[in-house]
Amino acid sequence: MARMGMVFDLKTCIGCNACVVACKQENSLPDGVFFTKTLSEEYGVFPLANRVYIPTICNHCDDAPCEKVCPSGATYTRHDGIVMVDDAKCIGCSSCAVACPYDQRTTMDADNFLKGLFGTGEITPFEKEGYARYTPGTVTKCDFCSQRVDANLDPACVVTCPTNARIFGDLDDPHSAPSKMIRERNGRPPMPEKNTRPKVYYVN
Amino acid sequence: MTTAPPTANSLKSGRWIASTCKMCLHSCGNLIHVTDTGVINKIEGNPSNPSNNGKLCPKGNAAIMRHYDPNRFKQPMRRTNPEKGVGIDPMWEPISWEEALEYTAAQIKKSLDEDPRKILPSLEDFQKFNIWAWPLSFGNFNFYQSGGTMCGGAYHPVNGFIHSAFACANDAKHCNYWINNGTGDGFSSHLHAAAQANWVAKARTERGMRVVAVEPRLSIAAAKAEEWVPIRPATDRHFAMGMSHVLVYEGLCDYRALKRDTNAPYLVGEDGYFIRDDNRQCYIWDKKNQCAKLWNDETIEEIALEGNYEFNGKPCRPAFQVYKDILADCSPEAMEKITTVPADTIRRIAREFARAAQIGATIKVEDGRTLPLRPAAYNYYRGAQGHKHGAQTNHSFKLVNMLIGNIDTPGGHMGVTLDPKEVDFNHCSMGESGMLKPTPHQLGPVPGFHYPPSTYHMMDYFPLGVHPPHFNLLMHENREKFGVEFTPDVIVNCHSNPVWAIHGSREKWFEFLRGMRFIVCVDIIPTEMTDFADVILPSHDVLESWNCTMIEPPHTEGQCFRQPATPPLHDTKSEEDIFYELSERLGILEAYNNVINLTLGFEGHPELMLELDKKYTDKEIARRKGLLWDGNDIEYYMEHGHSVTEKRLDKWYRPWEGCRLHFYIEDYLVERDKLKQQMEDANVPFRHEWEWDDYQPLPSSTLDPVHEEPPEYDLYAITFKDIQLNFGESLSNPWIKDIVYRDPVHTGLLLNPKTAAAQGLEKGSIVKVESPYGRLYGRISVSEGMHPETLGVSNALSRMKSKAAGVLPAGGHYNDMLPYDLKNTDAASAQPETVCKVKLTRLDDWPDFLKQGRTVYDLVEDYETAKGKGGHH
Repeated sequence: MARMGMVFDLKTCIGCNACVVACKQENSLPDGVFFTKTLSEEYGVFPLANRVYIPTICNHCDDAPCEKVCPSGATYTRHDGIVMVDDAKCIGCSSCAVACPYDQRTTMDADNFLKGLFGTGEITPFEKEGYARYTPGTVTKCDFCSQRVDANLDPACVVTCPTNARIFGDLDDPHSAPSKMIRERNGRPPMPEKNTRPKVYYVN
Repeated sequence: MTTAPPTANSLKSGRWIASTCKMCLHSCGNLIHVTDTGVINKIEGNPSNPSNNGKLCPKGNAAIMRHYDPNRFKQPMRRTNPEKGVGIDPMWEPISWEEALEYTAAQIKKSLDEDPRKILPSLEDFQKFNIWAWPLSFGNFNFYQSGGTMCGGAYHPVNGFIHSAFACANDAKHCNYWINNGTGDGFSSHLHAAAQANWVAKARTERGMRVVAVEPRLSIAAAKAEEWVPIRPATDRHFAMGMSHVLVYEGLCDYRALKRDTNAPYLVGEDGYFIRDDNRQCYIWDKKNQCAKLWNDETIEEIALEGNYEFNGKPCRPAFQVYKDILADCSPEAMEKITTVPADTIRRIAREFARAAQIGATIKVEDGRTLPLRPAAYNYYRGAQGHKHGAQTNHSFKLVNMLIGNIDTPGGHMGVTLDPKEVDFNHCSMGESGMLKPTPHQLGPVPGFHYPPSTYHMMDYFPLGVHPPHFNLLMHENREKFGVEFTPDVIVNCHSNPVWAIHGSREKWFEFLRGMRFIVCVDIIPTEMTDFADVILPSHDVLESWNCTMIEPPHTEGQCFRQPATPPLHDTKSEEDIFYELSERLGILEAYNNVINLTLGFEGHPELMLELDKKYTDKEIARRKGLLWDGNDIEYYMEHGHSVTEKRLDKWYRPWEGCRLHFYIEDYLVERDKLKQQMEDANVPFRHEWEWDDYQPLPSSTLDPVHEEPPEYDLYAITFKDIQLNFGESLSNPWIKDIVYRDPVHTGLLLNPKTAAAQGLEKGSIVKVESPYGRLYGRISVSEGMHPETLGVSNALSRMKSKAAGVLPAGGHYNDMLPYDLKNTDAASAQPETVCKVKLTRLDDWPDFLKQGRTVYDLVEDYETAKGKGGHH
């Protein structure tokens, strides 16, 4: 059985946010909603200051706190390890958003869909068609573009990344690109102290 | 079991169309997905295009939001509100195309009949040179667009001198030591940003290429670099000359290359000109035989690069020695005082650079040639080159490269043609005395000398250089002084926003525009400029139109094809239709077709040449451009979306083989003296004010005048863009806005925290920023990634209140603080200074004009207080 995961290469990520916009395109996200983000963190003191660009995404934890707290069974883990939300079952209680230590869940408020991307109340044909997938009042998040994965395609954020800073594949396959990268470059999961066993790793 | 229809946009039932991006001027290959219901819902990079390898930058990913922008111009319109200004509703009245074209043509014709120079073109479609070149149809050389000196006033001519090419890049495929000075190349900007970032990331991870970024701000390139070298603004040339001092005085040069492949050994007389014989042939000193011999004399036994000699009773030196003498005063210690970069750092980087260059090493490339391998290169762009002494500055960077023999060499510093078809027109050819024929006019013909001036931006006095649009304002304010005999009263504008972009006070530019009798804008969405238009002629967008182009690709060649993914959403036309319709009504159709034949290279190809009395569609012109490149007809291009391949190596590596490169650019003196004589003969009253010292055959260590502003202006200010904001309009796009204003470098005026404290300021302080030339207002952000003498102002803080939703003002425009005078403009290239000195004053509150309506800072506050929207930590 596969265990799909992602590695972020902090050496090459240029913080361009092409991934973020590709995600917005693929998933028809309303204004201000993100399934992935790139943080920009400065550290050090001049002249030795530096900045690191940190991509963030749902970590599809093996031991997902969001799944554990979900009272309706809306959150579940797929056969390949992708953590999903079934919005037909979601009651919008937001317990998962509170439980997620990575703040990767968003409640889709109805007004997200009313003001439109341009904030004018005018809904573009792109939005009209794309918003149909969402149920207002439910909670949503990144699903690694699960339908693309089913079609043997990488997630939208991965294919567009100019610097190949996002590497996607089966972590159970020791020969997969992410497995090799985690092994060879000492990949670390985010916030390991939370014991959530993320399927997302960072290398530098 | 029935499968539910997919919800992921790229998987919905529909078709993919192979096309080309135009969210910046470059031309990345893309794939556009259109659903069965006709909605464009996903754009991805085209993986079959070896230029961008399936990658797209954030802007390329955001083209859908331009297409469906509800603020798009939906039909031709005429202004009914006589009051013009940014944010003032023009009260558009829809009119028919016929009426709009008739009315517009009549307005233009009035000026065309009176004096064609009264027309001020502002045509900035860099993917359609057939539109850009339209004014040549009536002999008009005016220029009011923000390209030109706002990108690379001195950069392009110097590339024309050194590589006979438009742009330049480092060879990411072989380079191991990459210096980026004031540029985002390979990380965040410039040539095919996503493509070059892809190449550079591979070089860094696969070969461990080392990157050194030299600039006042911790940019993306600097953040990724192995070493960030903070530098005082406008001293980049001095850093380069400090490095060159080390290379020359420590003997770290590729002497073989300098002797054989450059004019560095040519003997220079005391007047700065080469020593020549009666046939204008240059001389080289033969050290062995202790005499001067003609450059091509086969009996030369030992070429001298150094030394002082006498020829025909007159003292002379090899050009290399001339530079060595200049560099005597440019020790790392001396340059430290100017740049603030420690002498040890300059010295170490020069040595590392020379060591990485592997002088003497060779490589066998795939076309069978054995070439020098020089895997170290110094690249630069707007931030480093945009200074008063732009020509010398660009030249100083080229010389760092030339000293190690890396010009157009594997691993080195490469010339990049504007359009790959140029390489088939022999873009490199032999000039005088064995030297590469220089091609400094990379953007087309220039008007030549006239007095009184024939152009409103004084291009008559820049025999070498790129059009200086900022001089339209200087001329306008000093008409008598410059002796101009006409006043532009019509602006023809296409995809250009000069009133947003050009140096000088916005208020003065607004007045300039209000003085126009008629302004027509061909555009897609409202901008600051369209708020001044009398008529809007709306064009198709990139997803609705045809084109075929390739703009300065670093590693590839071919043509990128654009085709409609959807019929036009609105009652719009292609730029071709619009300019043909206007040309016909103006009686210049034949001249226009002539210009297109010349500009696009159809001339000389009878089967492709446009018939002079006909009008052509965007589709037909695109078809002919494809045929011109490789003989493939439109069906091929419609299927593949491009004909891009890896660059032919003989056109990429040493395309000038057999010619000598211009180490010493004598043409600066030739053109200076020619212009001096022309001005003298015509008794040009301002000739004594002309900055004649700017013309130098080699860089000097002269300071740019920005360093000599009154001491009360105690900080430098710089402006910058990043990959989300590259080139033109970005921030009306909601997806771009949603990422830009969450990035801390774009949401405040950046100041080093120690500097802020010394100024009595902290994060959040509201300040007035004043230069000797203008002012802006803003809110301080502190960053350890700022040189302590420098205030950083993102271009994302430069927009003005406009009808376009999502574009928010932030307190003024950085470019208001820049001078637009002769003193701060390079006479040798027309490059204006892009750094200014400023003083900060703390304010208790925003000025009144910023309290009316939302600003960037209001939006940022909304973002900071929003919770539970995903990704907050």
